[in-house]
Amino acid sequence: MTVYLLTRLVRWGSGLLLILFISYAMMFYGAGDPIKRMFLDQEQGSLVLEEEVLEALRKKYGIDQPFPEQFRRYLAKLAVGDLGFSIREKRPVNRMVQVRLPISMQIGFAAVLFMVIVGIPLGVWAALHHNSAVDQFIVGFIVFINAVPIFVITPLLLWFLVVVVGIMDVPYGWKGLFHGQVILPVIVLSFGAMPTVIRQTRAAMLDTLSQDYIRTARAKGLTSRLVIFRHMLRPVLIPVLTSVGLIMIGLVNGALFIELIFNIPGFGHIAITALRTVDYPVIMATVFIGALIVMVGNMLVDLAYPLLDPRITR
Amino acid sequence: MAATVPSDRLTSLSQPEEVAQRNLWKEALHRLFLNRLATLGLIVVVLFILAGLAGPYITPYDFLEQEIDNALAKPTVQHWLGTDALGRDILSRLLHGARTAAFVGFFTTAISLFIGIVLGGIAGYVRGLADEFLMWLTDVTMSVPGLLLAMLMNTALKRPIAAWFDDMYMQTKNPFYLDTLWLDFVLVFGALAFISWPGFARLLRGQVLSVRETLYVEAARAIGVDERRILTHYIIPNAIGPIIVTVTAGVGGAITLESGLSFLGIGVQPPNASWGSMLSDSFSLWISFPHLMIIPAATIGVIVFAFTFLGDGLNDALNPRQVIKK
Repeated sequence: MTVYLLTRLVRWGSGLLLILFISYAMMFYGAGDPIKRMFLDQEQGSLVLEEEVLEALRKKYGIDQPFPEQFRRYLAKLAVGDLGFSIREKRPVNRMVQVRLPISMQIGFAAVLFMVIVGIPLGVWAALHHNSAVDQFIVGFIVFINAVPIFVITPLLLWFLVVVVGIMDVPYGWKGLFHGQVILPVIVLSFGAMPTVIRQTRAAMLDTLSQDYIRTARAKGLTSRLVIFRHMLRPVLIPVLTSVGLIMIGLVNGALFIELIFNIPGFGHIAITALRTVDYPVIMATVFIGALIVMVGNMLVDLAYPLLDPRITR
Repeated sequence: MAATVPSDRLTSLSQPEEVAQRNLWKEALHRLFLNRLATLGLIVVVLFILAGLAGPYITPYDFLEQEIDNALAKPTVQHWLGTDALGRDILSRLLHGARTAAFVGFFTTAISLFIGIVLGGIAGYVRGLADEFLMWLTDVTMSVPGLLLAMLMNTALKRPIAAWFDDMYMQTKNPFYLDTLWLDFVLVFGALAFISWPGFARLLRGQVLSVRETLYVEAARAIGVDERRILTHYIIPNAIGPIIVTVTAGVGGAITLESGLSFLGIGVQPPNASWGSMLSDSFSLWISFPHLMIIPAATIGVIVFAFTFLGDGLNDALNPRQVIKK
């Protein structure tokens, strides 16, 4: 068990390191001189800074160092939780993340909750009525949601709800998790990984339905509700749990679009602004946090898996 | 059956064998056409490819031509799909966007497939440590939010490459280096291939691993069929089905990703037309002028569906074990 945990930890830890290295190298060789970028918006023909001043600034921020040294310093800072200093906004990235990330996380959790509450029952329902009209409708719904990207479905849905039906205004901005405006973004965000949840549930349910112990449970006269909740829920939930990584990726990718469309000042909003203005400490931070969220999700699943399914002993 | 045939008679056997193979493909095509949705998908995909190839030559207007007096026009006889906020003909831009989408779809998939064949093939043949390493690399790449990584790569590489082209122009005065519009495309291909190769690599590895262990390959080896013939007549025909399916899905996926990047303002940049940027351009206007939003949105939707249906249909058609469902 300890060996299993350790190999998992090394696997994901080294992966995160690789991602950091690649993105840092890209930024280092691609973004241009950060000190010059820092004064870019004050340029207007009056850039009077002497080369010595620039040099002193480079020294101050440690940008005069070679790549390995800079990357080492970056990692050392990251290890104590310092994400660096935004070039364009001229404030610590930590502070930006502290304000914005919780907003995205609230929406993300709400979306996961919606996915579980709606997705798992739909998957169970489809499997219980295998090959019936209900099943075909749900499978068709999965294909639809899975194929059409979020940035296509959202405007069409908005147009339908706002212009055609006229039951709502365009939700714009962030007014807290319990404001009605949050409903549409959460639902649309949950579409990203909803097909995975439904499909996994349905497949696992179909598989479990044909097991001998279910037949035994039925044969000894248990009600079908009891059979479903007592005997089937756990084997069905395990495969769903394995797709947590995919769900996380869906949430992070979806946040980019959702927050742009609905103008929600969250994590995705930071990422897009930073990419557009080439604010590379912020870009690094968003890639790091995005990868961390997914990898921690994956690692937790790896760790929880042997606990849920005792057959996995390694 | 073939195992009883002495190896010197194999040449005489090759003739009927090839006939049988052609029938296998014909059979698959037949099965594909039995599936209505897949046939529809195939038709849309063919139309889309034609539009991508011929688009700029059959557009009624230049896709950049602006008629400011006639901006935001609803669909009319002159402009079948209306005009956008700058008075550009939407149909022309849509057709030009089809070219962008087709280029990105096919080149990105080709690059990813190439990387997949090389890495997946090596991992499948060599196995051992190389295989472990590849699996780790695919795991890591797949566990990063791909869009972020693609955007990072696109942003980071654009500047140095543009600067390099400037330098080259200064040194050589070759006008080739002035035209940097297509660089956007190359960057997008690269960035998208960078995040989509793991799927192909895993598939190729799996195919190599499973097919090389099959009994018919072993039997062919036992009766002395030479390695090249094993590869061309035994392994490739049996491994290619899932690859065709994945490539079809991959092209659709790459088109989606590219529109996503352009939608976020990071993919193929103006003045090149992309469906994603057409969609995001419509954003402040769609309440009053819904056609600006609905047309590109519906186009992306239809194309993505066509690739999905075609992929599903091919998946059924190319699997000989599949029972034909009417």
